[in-house]
Amino acid sequence: MFNGLSLDQAPPLSVVIRFFITVPVFGILLSLIIFFNPHEVLIPTHPISLASIHLMFLGVITMSMFGALFQMQSVLGGRPIPSALGNAFLIHLFLVIGILSLCGAFIFSLPELFIIASIFLGASILYCANLILPLLFGGTPHDTLRGMRLALIALALTAVLGIVMASEYANSSFSSVHEAVRTSHYSFGLIGWIAALIIAVAFQVIEMFYVTTPYSSWCKRNAFRIIAASLLLKVLWMFTHLPYSWMFDLIVGALLSGFIFTTSKRLNQRKRRVSDVSIWFWQSGMVLLSLAILTYGAFIGSGYDALQSVALIAFALFALAVILGMMGKIVPFLVWFHLSSAGYMDAPIMSNIIPAKRAKGVFALFAITSVTMIGGVFCLESLLIGAIVGGGMFGLLLLNLIHALRLYRDTLIHGKRFG
Amino acid sequence: MILLDTREFDHPLPLEMAIKRFKNLSEDEVLHMIHRREPLPLFEIISKNGGRYLSIREDENLWHIYITRSENVKLEHPYV
Repeated sequence: MFNGLSLDQAPPLSVVIRFFITVPVFGILLSLIIFFNPHEVLIPTHPISLASIHLMFLGVITMSMFGALFQMQSVLGGRPIPSALGNAFLIHLFLVIGILSLCGAFIFSLPELFIIASIFLGASILYCANLILPLLFGGTPHDTLRGMRLALIALALTAVLGIVMASEYANSSFSSVHEAVRTSHYSFGLIGWIAALIIAVAFQVIEMFYVTTPYSSWCKRNAFRIIAASLLLKVLWMFTHLPYSWMFDLIVGALLSGFIFTTSKRLNQRKRRVSDVSIWFWQSGMVLLSLAILTYGAFIGSGYDALQSVALIAFALFALAVILGMMGKIVPFLVWFHLSSAGYMDAPIMSNIIPAKRAKGVFALFAITSVTMIGGVFCLESLLIGAIVGGGMFGLLLLNLIHALRLYRDTLIHGKRFG
Repeated sequence: MILLDTREFDHPLPLEMAIKRFKNLSEDEVLHMIHRREPLPLFEIISKNGGRYLSIREDENLWHIYITRSENVKLEHPYV
């Protein structure tokens, strides 16, 4: 089975890094919006709240996941992405323009910006799906690749539904199925795209990075089938106004709970019990996902809006925890790997590329941000603190990435070649 | 023969440990790495930097990798 990173297949460092380095920039922008509009952010249907949600899920989460996808496809798929440099440049550029236009459209209520956002976001996401999806079929079967397929298909559907909604916002005219479109849009986005891709990544990296027992083959084989079937049936239920559509949420909730249990068990029983910031991030992610499931369940039962806000914030923080943990692990590895394979004898060791102290700093700020942001649903001052600390966390992340890139560039210029 | 057992180390430390020793190998020395999976990225770094390797799978989670910088040293696994 093809199970390692192949240099010939791996894209240049800049392909992945361009996505990763944009993440903290959008994160800082998000922190500023929350800091200056704390009241509005907490009203789920307020335009500034919608801008913040899309900045988080597109600017921070999708941006990092696109970078990861470019790397993972080459690593696991064994088939390189054609013209990776040029394609990554276009997809990244369109994504950045699309995200800024969409947030601007919500904040300034400009119909023209909704159209521009639809064009650029649609182009970026559908182009990316069209580029990578065919490469995921026909090769060696792999559970993570199955998850990536589902994630990309769900992302494409999220984009199409998003374009439909953007045209409604642009015309200020909402169809009779608007609510069904909205629910389908966020269900495909949150569960089909984000949760499925994180589960797919976990299947690959938890065992490999942390020397744990592998996930059960039943779990790997069926997780994505269950997610896909639940999402499709939920959408069918929504559009045909059938009752009890919450039972599909229940199925997804049960599956995610199983994922939390098996992942936590593996992390706790790992063979080498060495302190590692990325493990703290995974463990925090599991706690946050549990909170998201519990509060969403309580919201369905009670209809208390604040619980829905907590569920959404906790879910976003769960995804962010995994992203930050993986970024802290992958960026040093990629810098070291590209330098070592190019023959640089004095390639910096991985622990110096992002020093442990700085990585721990990002985690500490993330932990404070998580607590204060969730607390912010009930106490405005907490939200303000969360915005400040969150801005600091993204600032430190940006510094860490710049530091890694500077080491890479300095070694390329001044480094001694091997042999 | 230099022995390097990396089975209990988290990825990607084993790659870094192996490359560090590979860089310091003298002409006729052989590095014997024991790992729980086949370290494909390592092979590419070694091949591109004038080294040779032999990779033997003994069990599902047990690989023996022999690495040298010499063109003349014969790489072999005692149980093959």
